[in-house]
Amino acid sequence: MTSDLLHQILRRRAGAFCLVALILFYVAAFFAPLLAPYATSDQDLTKTYHPPTGVVWHEGQLAVRLYKLVDPTCAKYEAEPGQFAPIHFWVKAPTYHFLGLIPVSHRLFGVEAPARLYLLGSDETGRDVFSRLLYGSRVSLTIGLIGILITTVIGLTVGGLAGYFGGVFDSVAMRGTELIMAIPGLYLIIALRAALAKYFDDSDQIFILIVVILSFIGWAGTARVIRGLTLSLRNRPFIYAAEALGQGPVTILWKHLFPNLFSYLIVTSMLSIPGYILGEAALSFLGIGIQEPSTSWGLMLSQVQDLKVFMLNFWWLLTPGLAIFITVILFNVLGDVVRDIVDPKLKTQV
Amino acid sequence: MKTYILRRLLLMIPMLLGVSLLVFVLVYISPGNYLDVLKAQRDIPAEFIAKKERELGLDRPWYMQYVSWLGRTVRGDFGESWSYRIPVIELLAQRAPATLALSLTSLVFAWAIAVPLGVFAAVYRNSIFDKLSALSAYAALSIPEFFLALLAVIFASQWGGFPTGGLSAIDHDYLSPVGQLWDYVHHLILPTIVLGIGGAAGLMRVMRTNMLDVIQSDYVMTARAKGVPGNVIMFRHVLRNAINPLVTSLGFAFSGLLSGAVLVENVMNYPGLGQLIFQAFMRKDRDVVMAAVIIGSSMLIIGNLIADILLAWVDPRIRYDK
Amino acid sequence: MLSLRPTVLNSLFRGVAITLAALLIPACAPRQKLKREFPPLPKDVDITTKPPGRYGGIYISVDPGGGPNTFNYLVAEDATSMGAISTVLEGLVRRNAMTEEIIPGLAKSWEIGPDNKTYTFHLREGVKWSDGAPFSADDVVFTYACIYDERFPNRHASDYSIDGKPFKVEKIDDLTVRFITPDIYAPFLEMVGGGSILPKHALQKFVDNGTLMKAWNIGTHPREIVSTGMFRIASFKPGERLVYEPNPHYWRADSAGQRLPYLDLSITKFVRDQNASLAAFATGQSDSENVSPADVEWVRRGEKAHNYTVHERGPSTVCNFLWFNQNPEKDKSGKPFVEPYKLKWFQDVRFRQAVSYGINREGIIKGVLFGRGTPLWGPETPANTKWFNPDLQKYPYSPEQARELLKQAGFRWNEAGELFDSAGNRVSFSLNTNQENPIRQHMATVFKENMKDLGIEVKLQLLDFGTFVKKIGESYDYECGMLGLTGGGDPVGGMSVYLSSGRMHEWYPNQKKPATAWEARIDELMMKQLKTLNLAERKKYWFEVQRIMSEQLPFIYLITPNSYEGVKDRWENVEIPKAGGITWNLDEYYLK
Repeated sequence: MTSDLLHQILRRRAGAFCLVALILFYVAAFFAPLLAPYATSDQDLTKTYHPPTGVVWHEGQLAVRLYKLVDPTCAKYEAEPGQFAPIHFWVKAPTYHFLGLIPVSHRLFGVEAPARLYLLGSDETGRDVFSRLLYGSRVSLTIGLIGILITTVIGLTVGGLAGYFGGVFDSVAMRGTELIMAIPGLYLIIALRAALAKYFDDSDQIFILIVVILSFIGWAGTARVIRGLTLSLRNRPFIYAAEALGQGPVTILWKHLFPNLFSYLIVTSMLSIPGYILGEAALSFLGIGIQEPSTSWGLMLSQVQDLKVFMLNFWWLLTPGLAIFITVILFNVLGDVVRDIVDPKLKTQV
Repeated sequence: MKTYILRRLLLMIPMLLGVSLLVFVLVYISPGNYLDVLKAQRDIPAEFIAKKERELGLDRPWYMQYVSWLGRTVRGDFGESWSYRIPVIELLAQRAPATLALSLTSLVFAWAIAVPLGVFAAVYRNSIFDKLSALSAYAALSIPEFFLALLAVIFASQWGGFPTGGLSAIDHDYLSPVGQLWDYVHHLILPTIVLGIGGAAGLMRVMRTNMLDVIQSDYVMTARAKGVPGNVIMFRHVLRNAINPLVTSLGFAFSGLLSGAVLVENVMNYPGLGQLIFQAFMRKDRDVVMAAVIIGSSMLIIGNLIADILLAWVDPRIRYDK
Repeated sequence: MLSLRPTVLNSLFRGVAITLAALLIPACAPRQKLKREFPPLPKDVDITTKPPGRYGGIYISVDPGGGPNTFNYLVAEDATSMGAISTVLEGLVRRNAMTEEIIPGLAKSWEIGPDNKTYTFHLREGVKWSDGAPFSADDVVFTYACIYDERFPNRHASDYSIDGKPFKVEKIDDLTVRFITPDIYAPFLEMVGGGSILPKHALQKFVDNGTLMKAWNIGTHPREIVSTGMFRIASFKPGERLVYEPNPHYWRADSAGQRLPYLDLSITKFVRDQNASLAAFATGQSDSENVSPADVEWVRRGEKAHNYTVHERGPSTVCNFLWFNQNPEKDKSGKPFVEPYKLKWFQDVRFRQAVSYGINREGIIKGVLFGRGTPLWGPETPANTKWFNPDLQKYPYSPEQARELLKQAGFRWNEAGELFDSAGNRVSFSLNTNQENPIRQHMATVFKENMKDLGIEVKLQLLDFGTFVKKIGESYDYECGMLGLTGGGDPVGGMSVYLSSGRMHEWYPNQKKPATAWEARIDELMMKQLKTLNLAERKKYWFEVQRIMSEQLPFIYLITPNSYEGVKDRWENVEIPKAGGITWNLDEYYLK
């Protein structure tokens, strides 16, 4: 089923393009520590708001231009003519643990200090925007996946069991979902965020908190739909056959119902991931999302909600916005393609 | 139908009880309270803070606070805002018209854009226009709302044709009545576009799908085969049947009428409910928060009910009376 | 460029006007002409020293505080509400923001008794409230009766008491009031004399029925809010704007006998987001705007086109600092608030000094603030010209000096450059601050990197305000905190901070008796400065406190951003003080 779906996606131009692009994004996020020339927290207070460094072919190798700060009052830099720093590949760097396990002491590329390689410029404390964008993508790209995983598992379990068993369990579960859905989403998010933040005080844990909260809001809808679909499947002959064979409810749910819900799940997942990405950005904008020193696209974008970025033309600071925009479009288009494939009649709406 | 509606409305009561209890507890267990800001000021003595705590009842256990809040609320008294010192209802009523106006204009804007575009996209399927509109719909759905709002502010300040924010001009009070009306309209245009464009894109995509469904349906094929003129088919049969499913979305739109849009209101300085309620959450102005939640939840539940009723209305196959 | 009626609104509404012209709707009819009444001037009118100006003009300013929450003097807690209230309710004395002198307000003169505890104020004769009711000593007595009334708990009651004992306020005759303080109270004139005086005739009924706290809220009709200030409230739209119109009974005039203020209207716009208001100012739509250091450069580019000037005011009054939790006590379960071995570092002044040397303040200023900031070495920022002690121990960025001090204190480094104490514990702590302030966030991230260079590991925890306040004020379960306080004004405002028994003595609050000799010395100095009316002596004591703070570093002071104010060039008599609002003399503003 999965390989068939993959095959079908790749046969469509839009689908293939989006899938490949997204895979590239995820690969880049996975290998961020290797690809990024700097750590997210590496500052250089003498090079704040630095424009992207020009990369040129110089004396037989790639090199970056060197810049001079000509006007510190508006962070105006000018390239110094004839001054270059060569780009080295597989350079030595402070040791870090890739995925928390494998010690690595090199990065893919970099320049020798004190020169700095800013592919996408630097931010207000001279941190490399490109590196932060790469590391930030880990949050922004996984927040949707983990969120979907949580909502699907809970939704599937609660909705599936409720639909399968009916009775008291069903009504308790459904009243629960109704309760959650009856509270305006944003209020619930803010209240949960405030109430739970003290248990997640490290900035890395805030990420988990945000996912948990967004999933907590999201599972109710999934559970209700799953319940409805289960109800309609419940009375099919193949379920009775399975019951007659003495299979337990969990087995039946897993083996017989789940495969039948697969197409629905894959489509809704694809189409709800953008919600998580935009949700994280909105929370960060309100100041209740990801916190420094962690980084995410939403946080980076919210930190440049500032007229000076436009008036002094620090355009590179807006690249996280572009990243969000592109990723969300890719997911939306891919979701539509998948929907057309698995269920042309299913009118799942964004 | 009547008993159905009545039953649903009765179900609201336990639901609102549950919602209020949940939010009350969440607000209670979140660290700190309304007096945090006072505590952080260096010239406020501890005795005054203790006195305030007693006055606001914050020294009592949470269930006592909840019961007294509930007792007041069921009598129709939503309490008093601690930071504004006026009844919560009065406070919300001050901001409600602005929020309502913006909700309505952006709703109208979304429909006015979405329906014709959706129809054209369906009628000229796979044309350049169809592809362009699909692309712009994707784009509109993919920009964070607050970023769009910021772009609007910058656009307004650079180009100058629109106000950079707010609901009315500085000298509003000194304009003629017609001028005042126009002033409001002028200030509403940008927020309306910013807020409505996402909804418009979503609606347009649905409209297009619906149109295609109807165009390809048997009865339209039959009518066409019978030689009914194209325009008549389009407007009498196709359009009406394609819009019907959208009508139910009006119920959900009702839910959101008063919820306000914090992000856009903040960036564009629009004095609506969203801003006020968000501030109340941050400030832990409890009675304002609770009233906002109760009103928001009621609107949501009623909105869902309206959606269901509209659904039965446009689709005679659905009946709720059993 | 000059139109016949050069009002700022012309440009503001050009867009509207063009569209309307196209629609052929005569909407932009001339504004209703403002009618001004000119009742006779009071006998004791205050004549400004400035040459006479002329009437007219609308002054538009922006307040980022989001608008007042109340107009009730006893309820107000935030700066915006306080600002609006003090505009309409004058005090007995005023402060000249430029010279920082106390000048006559509703009282034309005053005497201080030989016991230094008795103050007799002589009120101006003939002053009236904006509704025409006479102002008298009854209003002053009434005000203090309200403040001390147990039914209306308010923050002023404790400000206006010494050790819980209230001041005595007596009416001698209609135009004379006497205050008696229970003990010598140094900042009396500034703190008490400047306090708003409430109208008895308008508020007595709320006192009688016990609803004073609900009176004068944001729903109250503007006409009911009577004024002794230069303006009265014409209209108020919550979340949008507050329109002031001249108080027809204001008690100041110019030498030509024209009653102040000259302005037709003063309008304050309320915003939540700085971008929109900054955009409005930079396109010439408002008269003044606080410009942040990072925005100065591009806002200046519009000076010529829109006829405004961005004035540099020097350092702001915001004092940012960080501190280590030196609280040696234990919580209820017997667990120490701070790990004992960490407490040892925190209590070591060499450790604190090393940290201070390790902070790259200049770097933050140059990089983050575009060079528009000032490093801080003590509790006062240079903006507080009257009380600022420039002669303090300074800690310019020097990792070498920091390492030297750490070495002296017994710390050492391993091969990887990580710092350990003499008992072999890795030096690591977490820094807590609240997340709302972007500049403080940058300071926190820079601090983390600076400490990393010294081999110290800092974990950042950005908390929401409530959690943070609880940690530093109630549960004390933190290691290092960072905070910004808007300072300035009289040192008496810092009593709760510097007294070791104080609630906001952050590094170790509510001490039964001073933990160290230098804290004992600060306690002594703070009490001394409070109990003398001699300014030079007070200065000497407060300067020594600042000196001790800079040497012992219980607070490690960071930086303050410089402050900039953009003002339209069309106003005469604009005087921009070092600190505080620029519109303190708005009554003297007139169009050039």
